[in-house]
Amino acid sequence: MVTKRFLISFAASLVLAFGATTIAQEQASTDVDADSREKFRSLDENVQDLKKEVLDLNRDLFLLEEELLFPANSQVAFFISMDVGEYFELDSVSLKIDGKEVSNYLYTEREVGALVRGGVHRLHMANLKTGDHELVAVFTGGGPHSRDYRRGATLMFNKGIGAKYLELEITDRVKKQQPEFVIKEWE
Amino acid sequence: MANCRSTVVALCLIFVASVQPAQAAADNSDPIVVKDPHFGEVLFYFYQNDYFPAIVRLLAAQEQSQLSQHTEQAELLLGGMYLSYGHHLEAADIFERLLADKVAPEIRDRTWFFLAKIWKQRGYLDKSQQALANLSDALPENLRREAQMLQAQIYIDSAQYDRAIAMLRDWEGKTEWASYAKFNLGVALARNGQLDAASEILDELGGIDPFNDELTSLRDRANLALGYSLLQDGKPLPAKRVLQRVRLEGPFSNKALLGVGWADAEVENFSRALVPWMELRSRDLLDSAVQESMLAIPYALAKLDSVSQAADHYVDAIEAFYEESNRIDRTIGFIESGEIFNQFLVDDPLDSTGWYWRLEDLPQGPEARYLYHLLATDEFQEGLKNYRDLNYLSKNLQDWRQNVDVFANMLETRIEAYAERLPRVEDALSRADVDGMVDRKLELDSLLNEIERSNDWLALASESEIEMWGEISGLENTPALIADIPEAAEVRDKISLLKGVLQWQLEADFNDRLWRLRRSVRQTGEALVDTQRLRRQIDDTMRSEPLRFENLSDRVYGLEPRIDGMQLRVAGAMAEQREFLQSIAVGELRAQKQRLDIYTVQARFALAAIYDLAATEAEVSP
Repeated sequence: MVTKRFLISFAASLVLAFGATTIAQEQASTDVDADSREKFRSLDENVQDLKKEVLDLNRDLFLLEEELLFPANSQVAFFISMDVGEYFELDSVSLKIDGKEVSNYLYTEREVGALVRGGVHRLHMANLKTGDHELVAVFTGGGPHSRDYRRGATLMFNKGIGAKYLELEITDRVKKQQPEFVIKEWE
Repeated sequence: MANCRSTVVALCLIFVASVQPAQAAADNSDPIVVKDPHFGEVLFYFYQNDYFPAIVRLLAAQEQSQLSQHTEQAELLLGGMYLSYGHHLEAADIFERLLADKVAPEIRDRTWFFLAKIWKQRGYLDKSQQALANLSDALPENLRREAQMLQAQIYIDSAQYDRAIAMLRDWEGKTEWASYAKFNLGVALARNGQLDAASEILDELGGIDPFNDELTSLRDRANLALGYSLLQDGKPLPAKRVLQRVRLEGPFSNKALLGVGWADAEVENFSRALVPWMELRSRDLLDSAVQESMLAIPYALAKLDSVSQAADHYVDAIEAFYEESNRIDRTIGFIESGEIFNQFLVDDPLDSTGWYWRLEDLPQGPEARYLYHLLATDEFQEGLKNYRDLNYLSKNLQDWRQNVDVFANMLETRIEAYAERLPRVEDALSRADVDGMVDRKLELDSLLNEIERSNDWLALASESEIEMWGEISGLENTPALIADIPEAAEVRDKISLLKGVLQWQLEADFNDRLWRLRRSVRQTGEALVDTQRLRRQIDDTMRSEPLRFENLSDRVYGLEPRIDGMQLRVAGAMAEQREFLQSIAVGELRAQKQRLDIYTVQARFALAAIYDLAATEAEVSP
């Protein structure tokens, strides 16, 4: 016949279950014995090492890819940034270099959010010969009063020897309650 | 500058830490002014919580010295992102180096606190303890309470019960933290063998008036623990009173109902005991309380002399346990095949990595119900997080592995294009006598100097003017014009006039012509300087390009073994991690199966006893 031994064993198991403590707003956790914790830690340390090595490899590959595709002598990078962005909700940017369209980028909401917070997007990389070049950037999106907005900005720039960085900045012109598109060259 | 540092760390913490939105909003950090576009690019990915690409870009930019305006900020951001990505040991290295005196105390304390919390979750109790030791008194009140609780929990986990008790006993305040402190105090007392004191604490906690779900749950747990403790001590009536305080619908209700039944059974009130136990029959058999109720019911029925009914219930229980045991076996097989871990990752987009990722839902399937409670454990969740991160690394390596051939092709194409162009360039260079041109330019300079010195205006005449000058001079010497006749004199005068006009024009234009010529020669000289410079560059390139190709070749062709080696190690780590998770899951299932086996033996024993009794009675009264 079943006896009260069940009660005893079950109660004992409950006491064990209650050995696990909790801190606020966290799920209850079961007890982790020392061996298991050691095992977990050893695995975790291995994962940490691998993460570091793979990150280093990615860094090397990133640089190698850039060096192969865009050697420093001919490299030109085009960046997009936003300052405030109250009068302009960015949808897309298209770039023309010397009359040839090289990029047409549609921004996601998440990306626009990152730009508004101060992130800078590397929109395009190109190889250009030394000398003068023309850049035309066309910004489309929502302007003041939720109207569709399309504006262009042009810059003649000189590509010398060495990499060149150009930033296309969307800023708010508070006086006119209009966005403004400025292209600047980084040294 | 200190403010900038604080801003970066605060930014990281907002993303990294599980702070409440209100706290995050309260962080009125100044926006970061981007002074290097590459730093802005890192922020672009960071703000999207894409930590892996953000870290890679930051490391690449650091390698190329592209963050000169943000050196320290970049380092702190890297620390924050490592933390977000779960690379906590590397993050701690950075913080240990940079946090000492360079950021606002509150930010520093917050950083150590979150590191302590992460390390506690990962079982690095010693490191968690060290991080807590770094705290000053600059944490906001809510985090300070949480840090104290973390400290107490570390004491409990490392069996320093006296320290935990001392800390929790003096807990001040009446917030929900006080209730949690009380509960943990009860646990520490119980583990320290002070059961009476623990019961007193749990009783106090079991009577609180909860104002949220967490506290209600905490109250249920306290009542359940106390109730069973009283039952063990042979105090069924107080136990029943306490167990009845547990909610009827909740994670602890099954165990409470079972306990209430046992409390009644203890005082021989079996018909009353059947009420909560019968209620358990309709609940999930996975719960040990429900399983036990399947034995408790026939036990009570037998006590009530309903032996035949009791026998039926034992038979039902044996069948149910058998089926459940088989299902557990199948689930163990499924888990041991490793398939379940692939399913965990099937719906994982892998487009971002983050410390606070948690698996909320198990893949659909009969095995899921056995594993749900594992999801609530740090050990399983952290193990899964590592498994997921390793899977991300594996996919990343796989993608790069496919690109190695592309890189090799690109490099070969460039080497071929260079080799193809080189003879043409060399030919053109050999034909271009730049030094000769320079000599000629210098000769021209001397010639112009001589013309200027001698005021040789005729030397600067154009071709047509020289031709005209020649014609006029020729006419001048015509013999017919020597005659002393008026017609000849008239022509001589005209010739003289023409010559004078031409000379006057040439003299008048002399300076201008000389200036233009000098300008033209100067421009030629400048162009020659550029040409010489370009020539030097070409020579340099011709010398350095083969070395550069060699360097690139080493890097490109060194990738394959490097990536292959890493892929093997990642695969090995994944297998180990999977094995670890399997051992947790299978261990849990085996414990369930073992319990069912014990219950089955008990049920069979009980059934046999009933049959024996029935047989004996039949023999006694033929």
